[in-house]
Amino acid sequence: MMGHTQWLFFMRIALSFLLASLAGEGVCRLARMPRITGYALAGLLLGPLGLDWVDGDDLPDFRFLVELTLTLLLFELGVRVSLRWLKYNPWVIASSLLESVATFIAVFGVLMGMGTEVKSALSIAVIAMGTSPVIVLRMVTEMRAQGQVTQRLLVLCGLNTVYSVVCFYLIMGWFQGAFHGQWFTALFHSFYLLAGSLGMGLVLALSFKLLRRMFELSDEQSAPVLFGLLLLLQALLVALELPVFLAPLLGGVLAKHFDPRPHLWPRHFGTAGSILTIILFMMTGSLLTRNEFVVGVGTAMIVVLVRFVAKGLGVLLLGPVSGLNLRQSLVLGVVLIPMAEIPLVELMDMRALYPQMGVKILPIVFSMMNVLEIVGPMAVQWGLIRAREFQEKTS
Amino acid sequence: MKLPPFTSSRPLTLGVELELQLVNTYDYDLVDSTTDLLRLLKKKGKDWDVKPEITQGMVEMATGICVSHADVFEQLDEIRQGIVECADRLDIGVCGGGTHAFQHWSERRIYDTPRFDQLSSLYGYLAKQFTIFGQHVHVGCDNADEALTLLHLLSGFIPHFIALSASSPFVQGNDTGFHSARLNSVFSFPLSGRAPLIETWDSFGEYFDSMMATGIVKSMKDFYWDIRPKPEYGTIEVRVMDTPLTIEKAAQIAAFIQSLTRYLSLERPYAPRETDYLVYTFNRFQACRFGYGGVYVNPRNHEHRSLSEEILDTLNKIEPHAIALKADEACAALRREVSNASSDVGWLRQQHAQTKSLAEVVQRQCARWRV
Repeated sequence: MMGHTQWLFFMRIALSFLLASLAGEGVCRLARMPRITGYALAGLLLGPLGLDWVDGDDLPDFRFLVELTLTLLLFELGVRVSLRWLKYNPWVIASSLLESVATFIAVFGVLMGMGTEVKSALSIAVIAMGTSPVIVLRMVTEMRAQGQVTQRLLVLCGLNTVYSVVCFYLIMGWFQGAFHGQWFTALFHSFYLLAGSLGMGLVLALSFKLLRRMFELSDEQSAPVLFGLLLLLQALLVALELPVFLAPLLGGVLAKHFDPRPHLWPRHFGTAGSILTIILFMMTGSLLTRNEFVVGVGTAMIVVLVRFVAKGLGVLLLGPVSGLNLRQSLVLGVVLIPMAEIPLVELMDMRALYPQMGVKILPIVFSMMNVLEIVGPMAVQWGLIRAREFQEKTS
Repeated sequence: MKLPPFTSSRPLTLGVELELQLVNTYDYDLVDSTTDLLRLLKKKGKDWDVKPEITQGMVEMATGICVSHADVFEQLDEIRQGIVECADRLDIGVCGGGTHAFQHWSERRIYDTPRFDQLSSLYGYLAKQFTIFGQHVHVGCDNADEALTLLHLLSGFIPHFIALSASSPFVQGNDTGFHSARLNSVFSFPLSGRAPLIETWDSFGEYFDSMMATGIVKSMKDFYWDIRPKPEYGTIEVRVMDTPLTIEKAAQIAAFIQSLTRYLSLERPYAPRETDYLVYTFNRFQACRFGYGGVYVNPRNHEHRSLSEEILDTLNKIEPHAIALKADEACAALRREVSNASSDVGWLRQQHAQTKSLAEVVQRQCARWRV
């Protein structure tokens, strides 16, 4: 029997979900804006800044779903990062490194200039490197986008997510060492997290290939198998205390590399994927408290701007040698705007581990994240339309 | 526009055009990357002839004037490598084949030039349905009247060309049962089919003028004939072939057409006549539908035989000419294919049976195009 509070909880969440999905449809039809901008707006409305139906205390109940969503999307993104392509066209890696390093330096510099202390500035700079896989993949799917800008957007997003997560763990390791004075343990731990993630990614890719071959699975049949494998991976990662996000992304990259056959299963994940995305967006909106918003939003806006300029210049500089024309290079800078939600869960952990640091970083990061969840999808939509890489819907 | 005068060109010289598919490398559907590919090719600074085609996702490569099979092959090979290199830098795949196995015509986008825009507004969805990939072979002729006569003599061999090159069994995600389903898309154009039997350039000019006067054509380009004269180049252009899966095959087919033209031109076994065309559409249909296995009806003696028999017979007749043109090895390769009943269509169906996935078939087509 369901308890009284549980019943209320489900009702609250169900209504929130319904409202968020309708908000998505609403902004899409009335304002021709991306659905996920609507989800993000609904998230803010439902969160502590608005009705306060959902807040940070609900996160533990949704942690599993949030992580599952990210696992699926990151694997899908990984499959779109072709190592062969990076070999044929190393300028793509060069432009990826340039835009990420430029973002890191610019954001770190500006925060230091504004008097933020070093550790917070480092953390925020590292988080700012990443482009949001969730927004990018949803927008590419929704617009059925294809072409060079789309292709590079996906690859740069995959790569800067890897840099961002790796650096985040390195920095956390460093903090830990600094806090506890155990340098060796801290370094070893960071190494364990990264090597472990790579190893698990490898295991995932190989087992997917093996199962596909053993059972001669067609694309459609392989979708449930893959889903099962990703669930298993998620469980193993939790058991081994490895980060949940690096392994599926690396696993996707390796899966495509070992098995370059077409991967059509994202089509079969479609509906489930979009439902999980709504939940994820509801949660980010719900994390931002009024207090944090007031403290963080000013700095956040400056960082958002600096980040945009750094990414834009980075890809503009190396766009042409990597095979884009000027217009495509400019557009690529714009579509990289959405910021990763990956650190969401890590940040919650950090808030628990190092409360003083959390207080300094979270207002800025959560404000950035929320601003970019509203602006980011619109930027991607604008960019892909400018690049003429979207497909009209045919009924 | 008046019909331009027929430029004289060296007899039996060749020019080959191939329309190619550009696909992405994750689900192998056609990808709108023609503009990007052409930009990278231009940067290479070679004088390769690579052009856009009616929809994004298509590209046409062409040789210059070639004298022999070896010449054709070398030129095609050089451009092919250039295209593959540039495509690799863009992470796209390139392949042969007369149709893309599962693309949806409604998702195609017209390549933005005034001519393509005009065709698109005139033909509507037919223009997007025209996302099909053919091989065109130009044969040089020294004078216009000879060109017209050869055009009509070659018309009798249309089924041969179709069966040898056929590589389009799959359309919009289904096996059509045809060997060349691509040509079904061509037939829906109002000015497709055969040229009228006119053997002098002056009379042809009169025909052209009266067609112009009706307002339905503006230039030779508006005729979608199976073989048409190209006065600017001084050639006749055979247009019924599917783009084969390899350039080896494309060069062999060009060599076959060259040898056949030499045979018809020097031996002149008969003169063209209107009754030859009685069986034209029947024979062409049989070749499209069944490939080598189709029925070929001889318009002269009304004999019915299998197209494979007929092709082997033709290869025998033209052998001395093939030897004279150094095209004999190429013709021998075609002979082996016909004798073994192996074809691009057979290969495509076999890949589909193995993989049960048309996307994987396209992936393998790309791999085959590279080597």
